[in-house]
Amino acid sequence: MRSRTLAGFASLLRAELADLFQYRIEMFLYGLWQVVNPIIYLVIWSTVVGSGDIAGYDRDDFVLYYLVFMAVSHLTLAIEVYTMAPSIQTGRLSPHMLRPLHPFWRAGALNIAYKAVNLMFLVPIWIGLALILRPAFDPDWLGIALFLPSMVMAASISFLIGSCFAMFAFWTTRSMSFWDIWMSLTLLLGGQVAPVAVLPGVLQQAAVILPMRYTVGFPIEVALGRVQGAELAAGLAIQAGWTVAAMAAFVVLWRAGVKRYGAVGA
Amino acid sequence: MIGRLAQIAGAYFRSALQEEFAYRGDLFGNVIRSVLNLGTAIGGVVVIFSHTETLGGWTLGQTLSLLGIFVFVNGFVAMFMSPSLNRVVEEVREGTFDYVLMKPVPALFLASARRFAVWHVSDIVLGAIVLGVALAGLDVRASGWGVLLFVALLACGVTIVYAIWLALTTLVFWFVRVANVTMIFNLFFQTGRYPIEVYPFWLRQLLTFVFPVAFVTTVPAQAVTGRDPSWLVWVAPVIAVVALLAATRFWRFGLSRYTSASS
Repeated sequence: MRSRTLAGFASLLRAELADLFQYRIEMFLYGLWQVVNPIIYLVIWSTVVGSGDIAGYDRDDFVLYYLVFMAVSHLTLAIEVYTMAPSIQTGRLSPHMLRPLHPFWRAGALNIAYKAVNLMFLVPIWIGLALILRPAFDPDWLGIALFLPSMVMAASISFLIGSCFAMFAFWTTRSMSFWDIWMSLTLLLGGQVAPVAVLPGVLQQAAVILPMRYTVGFPIEVALGRVQGAELAAGLAIQAGWTVAAMAAFVVLWRAGVKRYGAVGA
Repeated sequence: MIGRLAQIAGAYFRSALQEEFAYRGDLFGNVIRSVLNLGTAIGGVVVIFSHTETLGGWTLGQTLSLLGIFVFVNGFVAMFMSPSLNRVVEEVREGTFDYVLMKPVPALFLASARRFAVWHVSDIVLGAIVLGVALAGLDVRASGWGVLLFVALLACGVTIVYAIWLALTTLVFWFVRVANVTMIFNLFFQTGRYPIEVYPFWLRQLLTFVFPVAFVTTVPAQAVTGRDPSWLVWVAPVIAVVALLAATRFWRFGLSRYTSASS
């Protein structure tokens, strides 16, 4: 059973990869979002910090942070509101529900295929920018080792929450509006406007508890050794907690949503 | 002719309004969306200014005025421009653009003033409020001339946005699978949240002459916040007219390449 699911997922992934590869230029234009936005804040903080430092970040640290941000925000991106919500709204979800595989396996395949196709453009951009900006980097090996698990959790939370917002389409025609709200909160509290350590008091406390930071900012802080010891352990625990919570929300919304979907007869 | 077109656009607008009021619950959700989006945007500016006095020479109040203009223009574009032009992309893809061409009014008119996303009115209002409040805090004396200049510059900015959007949309006649124009436009428009003086030289040039976001937010904000207006103030009308002419010519050229969808 398990291996059949995986085999199904693998073939979905191949199909989505082949499909998206046709639209690689369009995909690349979407991918540029995860380049342009970090550059804006990279520029702003480089200007603001001058030759001093803010909350332990000097100019090089900001540059490094936003370079890693580009990669992490691409790899943890949720696109389900653009892929699944329209199929729910138009009823194109129906044929996928007849397959012997949960429709969100397809969403997952699309998600991974999108990221993979874009890597061929983005990796050269990342490397190019790193070579131009050349920030000093003092590796923290524990952080680098923990980066991968933290990234996987971040991508999972992001995918699950993105799917939850997409499933709002079972009830409302404007799931996109809710997603907009979520994204602008993620901008502020997730580490894009500023690294969480740079946020002032209340915002920082909120960011540590709320899920946004754990979908993008936290893995970066881990990789760069910005969180250490007890703080690191607590952060990973909170991240694991949000992963479980997001999974639970996903399951609950799916069960309720599918009932609703049938009832509408879409 | 102009009167009749205005009448038609008015009828389209009324039907968009009626459609909107059929979904009043969504309207409420949209107001919340606008308020929260604005809140986080202001939050971002405040976070930056909690570590500095000025940003590219702009004070907190001046930067917030600029943010107000950004939100206002963003809402205006989302309400009046993108719905119609995005529809063109869909129609060309599906082949239903034929019906637009058959109507006894100019295609460019129908392509530009057929659909309205009324609910973005909340962004327009909120943007104006932020601008007003920020200006009140700045204590700038508004002379009649200053206000007139500001409105004229804002009109130039919006015209430039329309020209860019129309040009991007026209690409659909060659690349049927033109990407989501909103997405591409917003990508570069994001840079207009902050004064262009923040950006390094090459990026500033790019945002002034290639993708002229500078004229949409920074230049009007300079005029209204009493900052020394740069020479760009005098270039803005020229760029607006040139961009509009170029975009409409490009549209007509693109239209002549339209081959419908049956090929």
